[in-house]
Amino acid sequence: MKNLVLLFMLFTAIVSAQESYTVSGIIKEASNGETAFGASVYLKGTTIGAMSNEYGFFSITAPKGRYTLVVSYIGFEDATKIIILDKDQKINFEIKESSTQLEEIVIKSKESEITSIKNPQMSVSKIKVKTIKKMPVVLGEVDIIKSIQMLPGVTNGGEASSGFNVRGGAADQNLVLLDEAIIYNTSHLLGFFSVFNADAIKDVKLYKGGIPARFGGRVSSVLDVRQKDGNNKDFKLTGGLGIISSRLAAEGPLFNSKGSFLVAGRSSYAHLFMKMADEENSANFYDLNLKTNYELNENNKLYLSGYFGRDGFDFEGGFESNYGNLSGNLRWNHIFNDKLFSNLSLIYSKYDYDLTLDTFEFNWVSSIKNYNAKYDLKYYASDSFKLDFGANAIYYDFDPGRIDPTTDTSPINSLQLDKKKAFESGLYINAEHKLTNRLTAHYGIRYSNFSRLGGQSLYDYENENPVVYNEALGIYQTGTVTGETAYAKDEEIKTFNNLEPRVALSYQLNETSSVKGGYSRTAQYIHLLSNTSSVTPLDVWTPSGKYIKPQLSDQFALGYFKNFENKTYSFEAEVYYKTVDNRIDYIDGSDLIGQNTIETEILNGESRAYGLELLLRKSKGDFTGWFGYTLSKSEQRTLGGSAGGPGINNGNWYSTAQDRTHDFSFTGSYKLNQKWAFGTNFVFQTGRPVTYPNGQYEYEGVSVTSYADRNSDRLSAYHRLDVSATFTPNKNPNKRWTGEWVFGLYNLYGRKNAASVSFGQNRETGANEATRTSIFGLVPSVSYNFKF
Amino acid sequence: MKTFLRTIFVTIITIITLFSCTDVIDVEVPEADPRLVVEASLDWEKGTQGNSQTIKLSTSTPYFDQETNASVVGASVIITNDNDGTTVVFIDENNGNYTTNSFVPELNQSYTLEIIYNGDIYVAHETLMPVVDIADVYQTIDKGLSEVLEFNVDFSDLANEENFYLFKIQEEADLLPTLFDIKDEFVNGNLINVFHERIEDEDINQVEYQAGDKVAIELYGISEEYYEYISLLIQQYESADNPFGTIPVPLKGNCINTSDASNYAFGYFRLTQVVKTNYTFE
Repeated sequence: MKNLVLLFMLFTAIVSAQESYTVSGIIKEASNGETAFGASVYLKGTTIGAMSNEYGFFSITAPKGRYTLVVSYIGFEDATKIIILDKDQKINFEIKESSTQLEEIVIKSKESEITSIKNPQMSVSKIKVKTIKKMPVVLGEVDIIKSIQMLPGVTNGGEASSGFNVRGGAADQNLVLLDEAIIYNTSHLLGFFSVFNADAIKDVKLYKGGIPARFGGRVSSVLDVRQKDGNNKDFKLTGGLGIISSRLAAEGPLFNSKGSFLVAGRSSYAHLFMKMADEENSANFYDLNLKTNYELNENNKLYLSGYFGRDGFDFEGGFESNYGNLSGNLRWNHIFNDKLFSNLSLIYSKYDYDLTLDTFEFNWVSSIKNYNAKYDLKYYASDSFKLDFGANAIYYDFDPGRIDPTTDTSPINSLQLDKKKAFESGLYINAEHKLTNRLTAHYGIRYSNFSRLGGQSLYDYENENPVVYNEALGIYQTGTVTGETAYAKDEEIKTFNNLEPRVALSYQLNETSSVKGGYSRTAQYIHLLSNTSSVTPLDVWTPSGKYIKPQLSDQFALGYFKNFENKTYSFEAEVYYKTVDNRIDYIDGSDLIGQNTIETEILNGESRAYGLELLLRKSKGDFTGWFGYTLSKSEQRTLGGSAGGPGINNGNWYSTAQDRTHDFSFTGSYKLNQKWAFGTNFVFQTGRPVTYPNGQYEYEGVSVTSYADRNSDRLSAYHRLDVSATFTPNKNPNKRWTGEWVFGLYNLYGRKNAASVSFGQNRETGANEATRTSIFGLVPSVSYNFKF
Repeated sequence: MKTFLRTIFVTIITIITLFSCTDVIDVEVPEADPRLVVEASLDWEKGTQGNSQTIKLSTSTPYFDQETNASVVGASVIITNDNDGTTVVFIDENNGNYTTNSFVPELNQSYTLEIIYNGDIYVAHETLMPVVDIADVYQTIDKGLSEVLEFNVDFSDLANEENFYLFKIQEEADLLPTLFDIKDEFVNGNLINVFHERIEDEDINQVEYQAGDKVAIELYGISEEYYEYISLLIQQYESADNPFGTIPVPLKGNCINTSDASNYAFGYFRLTQVVKTNYTFE
């Protein structure tokens, strides 16, 4: 708390330092009224400037005088205005795209994608959806999650694997936000496609480290996905027809352009899989994005957004399964004055998994829900000092599973696993402080609190050990239950508090290069339980509490950043080292499905990751793209601790499933002419760590495999080349309709990348064999996108 | 039940992996030093004396090795009744089998196994578990995931206690048996139905059950500790081809090396009561 007081003192001192005036406003795109995030606003001939925030708001304070105010946003014409700064004033900008006749096929890169030299924020990548849409994708489905995996430090488990991994972290360590609502499962069809419909998304920002104090609750990364506001000038339809799914989005003005709306839907073709497989099975997904906003007056704006997505599997006569995310969000932007911007968000989100097995006459449901209130403020104290502060409160409702018979004759007894409730809150303050013309600092702190709430009973274990080591057998087993404690609804089972300091510094070496360094501490209070090689929709979330401790991460990063050739190219090099305490690990033979006493299956361990990331990017011209390389290591260790014994994997450090020694990626787009554009991706990665057999023996008439240490071997390297071509027919200037054809070849040379190698006994010959499963060979695709 | 959930999930994966392909490849795998493997399954079939028992000893071999004769000879094998201290010395048949005709089975009685091999002493303790009778065996066609023949076995679980079962199925023409582990967690005190169907698989020349197929069915009552062991063994054996499978882990049985704990034996010393029956598809 001392630090907070210090910060306030500091900023008070600065505010009173000089007499000056403020110009503030909102920056929007002229064509559709979308607010521009990350546009650079500055006073010509000075070093005074700012970037617009997520809602397009900027505020600049300067001494009294006459200035030229410039708004610069690459891909857009610079907007300038001469201002006499003798009083506080409000100026809104509408910026025009720089080359209207090439509008649809210009490959744009926005200022905000270019490496920022001065801003101490490092380990961050922002990608515009327009860039993502130019990247080749499997089966023609534009995929945000797959696109960010082209960045250094971001990987995933392979084609059919949900989620993504950042800097050696696990999939549940990413905070994924869609318009500030938490999304618990980022994948459709088990990782084949992402839940984000690119037509509804404006931009995507990924924090791999140096996570700003306003975010909390996950230790690895923040993926901040923002939906479009909706065009407030004209009614527009966009859509596409693909092999797997079709999309349609409608947007337009409301209430005399005081507001706008966006509705976007996407659906896979039902029973598609059935037909292809000639089986009575099907898999499908759909999602719906909604957004609307209304400007009450120039200082107050309301946003309402929602998302609903579902996956369904139907195995005829056998079972049905469906699952998905649901979120809704009401936001209120309020500008107190030209220096103080605020946003209040009320958010609900939910993920549930539902399985009905007719054959076995039962139904299984699990879910996680949260109610989230956030209040964020930004104070533009002066040109050299800005302050972010706010508060956040989340109420969680966990239903780890309920089983019910579906018929009168079912042999199944009803069972409800204990529902869990928790409350998480956070308070933060963070300063952006320009110390000298060359040195800028971001420093702040987040105070987080987590309470596991009562309303349930928990077992007590002998010596408080839910897991004990059986010395004789050399295995971890369930501890001895000594009793049961009932916790009342208004009682707190366990409370945790953490102070999370975040610091970032940037020192500008010259006009085009800088070095940056940062340290951040983050806490994570909820955990996804998964002992499979990649997370599945069936996995359930569980809160910290009596037996599970919060994960605490410390990350250090250092980087060098350079722009050259007039910002055409940028180069970034970063090294990082991070540790995570209390990372859950699973004892040998852990049983997580339908498990009421999770504490008997896990031990608290630790993990660490370190690496070097290089990124070379070309952001202007007919050819744009980037080349990324990561050299890294990610390991974990779990000692026996109070449970006794050596720990998991004999207490040795071992590679996490996310460990990739080398990760090389290249992505590029080339605009040949107004009709044709081409894209390509190339990926090379060290194979995923896996557990291989080290022997066999006969038992019960079968050959039983004995396995080596966890993750001590690796799959062979993963590599793949994709290409795409976009054809835009001549536009009829009299018609509003514009269309484009996208042709793609995924995995051009048909490499059989192993998603897994499994070892088993051939039931015909009895011999042991290794079987490789590879997901996609060469996959051609074609899709048609249109705008109206 | 958990097995069902797990199986279902595997099936979902199968649908999803329609875009996938599988092929058998050559892989270099690590090679661990051989360990003693103890298959001490003292199974007492209901209605028999249960005096004749065989314990098999072997060693583990490299994973892809099909040549090595892994039989262990020259070991000493003794079982002691923990109540009255009577011992049974098993006779070395010099082919890896150690046999006796004088074992006296007693339900719910604990026994101790002692093996001396290569100077190390291995010890295991276990209790002989009873089993309920099979109530009915019959065939159906409408259960399961496709419309093919399946056989059903019904038995009544005992209420007011936790019970654990091992099911073993061997179709006459098959090379390998199929094992199931069952826990009464979600079905305590109910009539439990187990059914099995075969799905056509060209890769291993497997076809659906046909009229005339003969299946040997065995239902074992097992201890909770053995259940933990065998369920993990079965899970790792069955989910071997599942890319979403649980990360495999070492399987440790109950045969402790008292001379050198790290050199523990694979396998298990189990004592069960078993009911056996045969079914011929019509």
